[in-house]
Amino acid sequence: MLKFLKQVGDYAKETVQAAKYIGQGLSVTFDHMQRRPVTVQYPYEKLIPSERFRGRIHFEFDKCIACEVCVRVCPINLPVVDWEMNKTTKKKQLKHYSIDFGVCIFCGNCVEYCPTNCLSMTEEYELSTYDRHELNYDSVALGRLPYKVTDDPMVTPLRELAYLPEGVTEPHGLPDNAQRAGLRPEEILEQEQSKN
Amino acid sequence: MYTYGRKRRAEHMEGIDLQQTFIRSLTELGIPSGAAKAIWMPLPMLLMIIGATVGVLVTVWLERKISAAAQQRIGPEYIGPLGVLAPVADGLKLIFKEDTVPAKSDPLLFTLGPVIVVIPVFLSYLIVPFGQNLVITNVSMGVLLWISLSSVVPIGLLMSGYASNNKYSLLGGLRAAAQSISYEIPLALAVLAVAMMSNSLSTVDIVDQQSGYGILGWNIWRQPIGFLIFWIAALAECERIPFDLPEAEEELVAGYQTEYSGMKFALFYLGSYVNLVLSALLVAVLYLGGWESPIPTSLLANLAGVSETSAWLEIVDAAVGITMTLLKAYFLVFIAILLRWTVPRVRIDQLLDLGWKFLLPVSLVNLLLTAALKIAFPVAFGG
Repeated sequence: MLKFLKQVGDYAKETVQAAKYIGQGLSVTFDHMQRRPVTVQYPYEKLIPSERFRGRIHFEFDKCIACEVCVRVCPINLPVVDWEMNKTTKKKQLKHYSIDFGVCIFCGNCVEYCPTNCLSMTEEYELSTYDRHELNYDSVALGRLPYKVTDDPMVTPLRELAYLPEGVTEPHGLPDNAQRAGLRPEEILEQEQSKN
Repeated sequence: MYTYGRKRRAEHMEGIDLQQTFIRSLTELGIPSGAAKAIWMPLPMLLMIIGATVGVLVTVWLERKISAAAQQRIGPEYIGPLGVLAPVADGLKLIFKEDTVPAKSDPLLFTLGPVIVVIPVFLSYLIVPFGQNLVITNVSMGVLLWISLSSVVPIGLLMSGYASNNKYSLLGGLRAAAQSISYEIPLALAVLAVAMMSNSLSTVDIVDQQSGYGILGWNIWRQPIGFLIFWIAALAECERIPFDLPEAEEELVAGYQTEYSGMKFALFYLGSYVNLVLSALLVAVLYLGGWESPIPTSLLANLAGVSETSAWLEIVDAAVGITMTLLKAYFLVFIAILLRWTVPRVRIDQLLDLGWKFLLPVSLVNLLLTAALKIAFPVAFGG
């Protein structure tokens, strides 16, 4: 009899424990309801990509010396460099250059190693097409500059995490003069100059 | 308590009675009273069906908004103001979708399944009172009617699971049947304890028994265990998240709904949400004082010095009653949604353990306790 009562008591204790845990869980869920969402309403609002953003690659045709370094550093030898030896100037003459962004992994090795800086990363990331072959950008398409989010009248630009002041994670309703965490490049420059 | 309720009801008999007024005005126009009654009959039913459907739309919207809030999202925002038209868009989409019947299925049972699931749920709205006379029929067996109607539902689920010619569907249907049958019993026992206290199965009597003392008179104080059992069992009956095994998408695709599309799927969807609102309404009626406001309106009227028989007070009373019932019901719906994002789904053996080894004995003890208390304190427990 006593054993049975103990069993009942233990069972009741477990039940109370379980109820307590469910109550704790409910309070956590309830607490989450007061936290404001940081949703970016995408087609209407867009984040401003940071300076280090690795988007679609930009290519300047005239700077290229057709050295093919970009091809060699590329993990999959992606850039297609079409050149011809110019007999008179004894220099390589570039005819076509293309990168297929359906295959590119945006690692930025080509940009890093290009000896003439003719390759650079842009902030463009909206690369959807109806046909994957449209992602194979030729030198003309590679030379286009992306449209800035801040210039688009249809879009509310929002600051990305890198541009937010310290401790702030919500870009909505931020005052325009709020400065990002850390020093700005020109401030660092000033500091260095005053030291010397 | 009980006699007090009876007396109060007799006083209120003069209150808002739309039926009598409607029939009287029609007979004054020269229509025989039988025909007038026949004209009246479909009106509250139609109103109730429309009300239930609108209630579902509101619940779906709330579910999406509250789920979004619990996950720090925004939820539907651009379909109508604050996204209120999102459930309407869902419904329209389902209406226009192709209605497919899978090959080698049983087309008759396949079509009959969702119908059998939905009809009892809507029928159960017969007994939900929103005021003294604001109920379609005050059946003296009200709650029992609801329990028996809700036990028709698993037949439809089993039927659709079997007729789909799909193993997932069959498993889902079997699970639904097992779950509904095991949770019906604690549900009925919890109701029985309430019925014992109010000496009646009629929903109107049950609310009357709780009236008079405002929030202090509600059954939740006298039946806290019964309230919890009822709510758990009702969630299981509605297949809400801790107990949504029949349609567990990670294991069973969508359970018995797997092969359904278009309007037939919409019927299941509608049925499950109507059932949720219905369960919440019944919890409000059985345990949270139904249409009674936390502070009795008659007390407020007395304080304000308004005569209890004045016409506009009756209207205010009715409006407060409807609002209170809906507020309580939607508070419970809110709890159910919050619970959905808090607790994980239980396993089938845990589900049956909880039903048979925990809820059933506890509800039996609760029933015994209620009987003992009723004999010991007949004043407070409706002797």
